[in-house]
Amino acid sequence: MLAMRTRINRPAAATLVAGLVVSAGLAALPALAATQLTGAGSSFVYPFFSKAFYVYSQAHADVTVNYQSIGSGGGIQQFTAKTVDFGASDVPMNSDELKRAGGAVVQVPVALGGIAVTYNLPVTVPGGLKLTREAIVDIYLGKISRWNDPALEKLNPRAGLPNLPIVSVHRSDGSGTTYIFTDFLSSVSKEWKDKVGTGKSVQWPGSNTVGGKGNEGVAGQVRQTTGGIGYVELAYAMENKLSTAQLENKAGKWVFCTASTVHAAASTKPNVSATDFSIVDRSEANAYPISGYTWAFVYENPTDKARAKLVRDVLTWVTGNDAQKIAASLNYVALPETVQDTAKKALAEVKV
Amino acid sequence: MIADSRLAPRRRLGGTAGILLTGFCSALAAGLLIVILGYVAIQGWGAINPAFVTQLPHPVGVPDGGVGNGIVGTIIIVAIAAVIAVPIGVLTGLYLAVYGRGLSAELIRFLAEVLSGVPSIAIGLFAYTICVKPFAHFSAFSASFAFAVLMLPLMIRTSEEAIRGVPTSIREGALALGLPDYGGVVHVVLPAARPLIVTGLLLAIARVTGETAPLLFTAFGSQFWELNPANPMAVLALQIFTYAISPYDDWHRQAWGGALLLILAVLVLNVGARLALGRHGKKS
Repeated sequence: MLAMRTRINRPAAATLVAGLVVSAGLAALPALAATQLTGAGSSFVYPFFSKAFYVYSQAHADVTVNYQSIGSGGGIQQFTAKTVDFGASDVPMNSDELKRAGGAVVQVPVALGGIAVTYNLPVTVPGGLKLTREAIVDIYLGKISRWNDPALEKLNPRAGLPNLPIVSVHRSDGSGTTYIFTDFLSSVSKEWKDKVGTGKSVQWPGSNTVGGKGNEGVAGQVRQTTGGIGYVELAYAMENKLSTAQLENKAGKWVFCTASTVHAAASTKPNVSATDFSIVDRSEANAYPISGYTWAFVYENPTDKARAKLVRDVLTWVTGNDAQKIAASLNYVALPETVQDTAKKALAEVKV
Repeated sequence: MIADSRLAPRRRLGGTAGILLTGFCSALAAGLLIVILGYVAIQGWGAINPAFVTQLPHPVGVPDGGVGNGIVGTIIIVAIAAVIAVPIGVLTGLYLAVYGRGLSAELIRFLAEVLSGVPSIAIGLFAYTICVKPFAHFSAFSASFAFAVLMLPLMIRTSEEAIRGVPTSIREGALALGLPDYGGVVHVVLPAARPLIVTGLLLAIARVTGETAPLLFTAFGSQFWELNPANPMAVLALQIFTYAISPYDDWHRQAWGGALLLILAVLVLNVGARLALGRHGKKS
């Protein structure tokens, strides 16, 4: 009987042993010859970074960059814990976060993108739904709660807006996108600024509001909810073919979220910096009102100079024209020339 | 029939309703599983091809690409986790089944039970705190450590039960034939308990293979072939997570393909465990 059992389980035991031997053998192999740099943070910038670093490695056989999208907050945290060579976030590190970093930090703008307001209605609105800045504030405050509200009907007289409750969708996780969106709402409305404020996550005031995790979560909620409205980064709206609203900007002009309107907003602030970075609600005629930069972080006085130099070279390339063309092909907006210069100057401060 | 006619109609009705309700809920549970499996299979089938299981991930806009490195990474990480968890789990089970008495044994059992209830994300954070942060470096090994901790309670419980299931008479027989105590345990009791222990191991592996939460801050993920456990490594579950939350159709397709692969792997492990268990049951 014992012999029988032994025979039955020999294959299983053999498989296990073989697996262990193989994995031990693999473990003993030397690491790949190229230096592997690691970065983490913003999920918004991940598709751009993964493509850009792939292209970079093909031209530079000695360097590979492993960037993982763990969210902006996580990026700041891991950068501070020094577990990664660089971090990335859709909002620059604030003074508290900089204090915790335990060393001077160089913050570099690496990508530019717009945030679209998307909606889900049973009727097709010809030319896209029109929303004023105030209407968006009132919807998220819960003051406009039905689609056939007179304020919305006045803006969209021929749309035949249905008598449906509005479900506003927001991000449930801490997010740079939320920061940019609430920054916009705060700059439009004093009431929003006093009651809710600006942040990576805020206390959403409306009664008919739901959360979604990540851009994908918000896009999914809007798609599933008839009467839903939400804010997602342009790439998500475009790739998921969501209906996006036309917004009235500060200059009173109707604009869609496109590369040119986001670029127009960015052009109004050529000297963007980590302490003065907001480009929402600009008064330029063609400016789209909700957009912002993604920032990368490196230490000014890195301990491992050789690695830091490689990181600096990679980021210098990322903020240059070749890489920014890749960004533009993925529904981001190429960094304006002046911002590219700012990035290069910032990177030159890194002491390697 | 006679018994039936004596029952009050109300009781009969209640009985029938109860059976219908339990039957309905069972059908619902089974149906839900089948729907999930079917849906993943339909969505994921199209993504699976030789390139998908052998190639490296490609960035957006570069056609093809796969999750080959994630499959290899998953195997390496789970194998190392098993190497850590098996000896500790089996020896603890042995202690509890054969030698452990009184308070200490109860305490160990209780702690193992508590450990099995700790959320996997908390274990991932623990692994991050002691395996990643001090070295300022993400690594596949830290993920293996987290997985080993997740596997341990299951290994301890199944080992203890497996060893307890070996009749004392067999061990006494070994002693009677002149084997020393350790000889009886090593050459007689453990081999007899092995089928159940292997079953437990397979179930423990199935349990951790689909885990994503503990990987976020340990294995970290990678776009490259990585075989060194001291470095960040790609893992299938993590790739599915990243792809699923991306905006791109192509990545969504690959996420479904990866999910299907994972489900198939876990299914094979579970069926394997069931078979090992079934044969064991028949023979003894």
